Amino acid sequence: MSSYIPVIGLEIHSELLTKSKVFCTCSAEFGGDKNSRCCPVCSGMPGTLPIINQTAVEYAVKAGYALGCSINKFSVFDRKNYFYPDLPKAYQISQLNLPLCINGLVPIEYEEDGVKKSKNIRINRIHLEEDAGKLIHDDLNGVSLADYNRCGIPLIEIVTEPDIGSAEEARCFVEKIALLLQYVGVSDCKMEQGSIRCDVNISLMKPTDTEFGTRAEIKNLNSLKSIYRTIEFEIKRQSRLLDRGERVVQETRRYDDNKGETRTMRSKEDAHDYKYFPDPDILQVNFTDEDLARIKGSLPEMPYQRLERYISAGIQEKDAKIIVNSKRLSDLFDDTLKVYNNPKSVANFVIGELMRRINLGEIDLEKLNFTAEEFAKVIEMADTEKVSKGDAKEIFREMSEKGGSPEEIAKARGMLIVTDTGKVLEAIDEVIAANEKAVNQYVSGDVKVFGFLMGQCSKALRGSATPKVIKEELEKKLKSLVG
Amino acid sequence: MDLEMVKYLAKLGKLSFTDEELEQAVKDMTSIIEIMDTIKEIDITYDPLKDNHNVYLKDLRKDEAMPSLPTDKLLMNAVNSESCFVVPKVVE
Amino acid sequence: MDVTSLTIKEQHKMLDSKEISAAELANSYLVRIAEKEPSVKSYIAVTPEAAAKTAEAAQKKIDAGESTPLCGIPLAIKDNICTDGIKTTCASRMLENFIPPYNATVMEKLNAENIVILGKTSMDEFAMGGSTQTSAFKKTRNPYNTERVPGGSSGGSAAAVSANLCTAAIGSDTGGSIRQPSSFCGVTGLKPTYGRVSRYGLVAFASSLDQIGPIAKCAEDCGTILNAIAGYDYHDGTVSKLPVDDYTAKIGMDMKGVKIALPAEFYAQGIDDDVKTAVLSAAQKYKDMGAEIIDCSMPSLKYAVAAYYLISSAEASSNLSRYDGIKYGHRSDVSGNYNDLIIASRSEGFGDEVKRRILLGNYALCSGYYDAYYGKAMALKQKIREEYTQIFEKCDLVLTPTAPTVAYGINENIDDPAKMYQADICTVTVNIASLPAISTTCGYNGDGMPIGMSLIGKMWDEATVIGAADAFEKTFTRTEPKI
Repeated sequence: MSSYIPVIGLEIHSELLTKSKVFCTCSAEFGGDKNSRCCPVCSGMPGTLPIINQTAVEYAVKAGYALGCSINKFSVFDRKNYFYPDLPKAYQISQLNLPLCINGLVPIEYEEDGVKKSKNIRINRIHLEEDAGKLIHDDLNGVSLADYNRCGIPLIEIVTEPDIGSAEEARCFVEKIALLLQYVGVSDCKMEQGSIRCDVNISLMKPTDTEFGTRAEIKNLNSLKSIYRTIEFEIKRQSRLLDRGERVVQETRRYDDNKGETRTMRSKEDAHDYKYFPDPDILQVNFTDEDLARIKGSLPEMPYQRLERYISAGIQEKDAKIIVNSKRLSDLFDDTLKVYNNPKSVANFVIGELMRRINLGEIDLEKLNFTAEEFAKVIEMADTEKVSKGDAKEIFREMSEKGGSPEEIAKARGMLIVTDTGKVLEAIDEVIAANEKAVNQYVSGDVKVFGFLMGQCSKALRGSATPKVIKEELEKKLKSLVG
Repeated sequence: MDLEMVKYLAKLGKLSFTDEELEQAVKDMTSIIEIMDTIKEIDITYDPLKDNHNVYLKDLRKDEAMPSLPTDKLLMNAVNSESCFVVPKVVE
Repeated sequence: MDVTSLTIKEQHKMLDSKEISAAELANSYLVRIAEKEPSVKSYIAVTPEAAAKTAEAAQKKIDAGESTPLCGIPLAIKDNICTDGIKTTCASRMLENFIPPYNATVMEKLNAENIVILGKTSMDEFAMGGSTQTSAFKKTRNPYNTERVPGGSSGGSAAAVSANLCTAAIGSDTGGSIRQPSSFCGVTGLKPTYGRVSRYGLVAFASSLDQIGPIAKCAEDCGTILNAIAGYDYHDGTVSKLPVDDYTAKIGMDMKGVKIALPAEFYAQGIDDDVKTAVLSAAQKYKDMGAEIIDCSMPSLKYAVAAYYLISSAEASSNLSRYDGIKYGHRSDVSGNYNDLIIASRSEGFGDEVKRRILLGNYALCSGYYDAYYGKAMALKQKIREEYTQIFEKCDLVLTPTAPTVAYGINENIDDPAKMYQADICTVTVNIASLPAISTTCGYNGDGMPIGMSLIGKMWDEATVIGAADAFEKTFTRTEPKI
């Protein structure tokens, strides 16, 4: 197999978290009984008109800023015409020539053959459009059932330049986009609910070629894994064709998750002519400089900013990156710091314990059984030796499984360390009395026996005093004997 | 304007014609396009900015969800089943 | 005296003074409809039950002393305006059984004024045509001569007003569909400024050109109706937020000093001599009243028909794509897949003229032709607007014939769509330039057929258009049709 350079561009569709749909007032929430979130407008009844949602436009612009785009101060909505039963108007309101956002740049970091690399992916545009409905296939009766609840949910389509060179780069890029959109709060990017989906355009070229090869488009990929596998498969498929001197057909393909391969959907011959034209029902949207300044100013702290903050708080870069790369985790981390401001210690617990259990599948960040306050408390208790480090992990396990306050769990399970100095002194006295030989050794200068005596005291106190206190008191006592 | 073109346009519009109708459509479209072609002699281009109606972000609809149509009313003009519109099998 | 021949203003007085009840008034029309409708064929559906119900509600208002100018006035509604629970067919097999689940905004506004609804009037299928002979249900006849067409597409509305089968009617105008049938049927019809009246619930033909307006016995009645239906609407993003004027404010206006422009191109070849003579003598009448007649030019008029048909058909091809037999409308019995069903449903449901417009629209928009046709037409739209702007810098109104001829025979022109299209030359620029215009009768030809003239105003200046038409009407004696 010759070596070719993959040239990959992505189109990422992401649903926006508005309350209402983009062109009507139906609820934009996920789910609902079939066809219960539809009105004459989103179901394409004759005579209805779209009324554009201000927040959807604002969110798209926000996404644009998050991805380093420029904003068109004059933006036009167009109709993309095609027939499909999930599209009740037989056209999708979208944007062609004057989209809301253009010319962005998104840096990605990835590993290749164990080497850390970074790269900038250019964003061609981000435009606002509407989602289509859902077809439920009823194989028994040989029909499909159309549910229009999703019709009109606002979507942004992020279109990259063909800057992506591998499956790994694509995976990292999509992950990064999802992260950025989550940070700006415009999309939850839940792949499993279809709130972020991806089309892949891929062609191959030889290092000596000056022009891109013919590309295939693989539509509607809805997981990172399928994006990765699709690209890997396409590189192999197209390489084989080119090696044999055959041509790659420009076509739309579909990824079959079960077989891990792509298949032809339609070739260029019956490619759609979308007959785009400006939607006469929607007046063009203008932005003032003030509008744009306000939206830009409303962007929350972005991942790279958080990273800087964490590092300057003394957290190791490697750990800081892990935290920042999940918005949920990072939010939990920040909320925890608000209650217990000990970044290093919280970071250690997050990386050492929380992440470990997340990776084991024991904890789901989306469904936590504890609050940030409770999380802060258990870390603080360990740090201040109210419980032992080992017990803190045990308390955390119970909290994350069943919920409950860490103090109560510790109390109920007898893990609280109550430091009663009188009791400590009493125990020390008993140990000294019972180990005369060892004490004498110590007094005569053989300090090695301290460990033995310490162990005897700890055993006698059985976790009801911290080692620190026992050590301090024992040292004091022995030194007084030395005189 | 010829038969192939009319067939293509019919395909785009999801219309079917009998051979006879097609023949007539070619005739009609030919004379219609003759009128349309008068605009070819003038050399001007469309400027979207001139069509600006000065609608600003603040003028757009506020994001508020309101009640939808009852499902039975939504479906009352359609062949429906299980609260859905019934669509014959879609062939790619 | 026959109450059915009275104006809104006259009937309003009678209702208010209890000379007649709303039910009695409605009934007078229903009786006359029973008698005359078979020869006029203006109604697709007469709705006696809705009439009785709305008359009862109107009477309550009148009895409570809360009457408004349209309270209890029997109106007919063009059958492309959605009426909740009442079939809205667009005179098409496609929508033969379509019952809208919602009201057009215009209906909501009229209902709030307690109009009495008599029924839904015939039209050219989907408002495409100028004869009402493309109606799938009622090929309306001209009350002045039932062997002639009433014009179109609002031919049913105009004929019903003309034949006293309603006091006034609501129509829609995309390229002359209110004004031309008003002219042919010897009544007064107003196309408001684009964006003055909400289009929500008007089954779309060409979204950037469609506008709802009144057809009545006189200009003042048109103003009264416009007062009720004009204004901002939450459901239509293209409707203006400008405050609504009192459109009867200039009734009885003094024409002294009013500048009326006559663009030479509207009086050139292709306009019947009878028509030219009548309109020019109306101009003379205005001059006699003290108005100033100004000669001017509209060089782009020769491209107007092409620009109009390209834009309107392009938009129509997209607007009509939603009719697939799935959600509403004609669903073919054909067996097969989705594609088979949609093709069969559309081919069976749409008439020849609608199909031609779809073909033309797809031609204008399809890839490779867009720039030459749709793009150029949009550029011409801007040019025609500019030419109007220049004319209105020097004058208040433009006076033109409404149609090149009087109403023609029912079998003329049908086989020659190209010729039919050319006949729209006098009306289409008004829609292209978004202007308000009124057509009123200015004479009768040797056969007693009415001749209409159009007064075109500046954007949003319906009051002057109505006032000037009223000034002429006060000097003109209308001859009622002898149906």
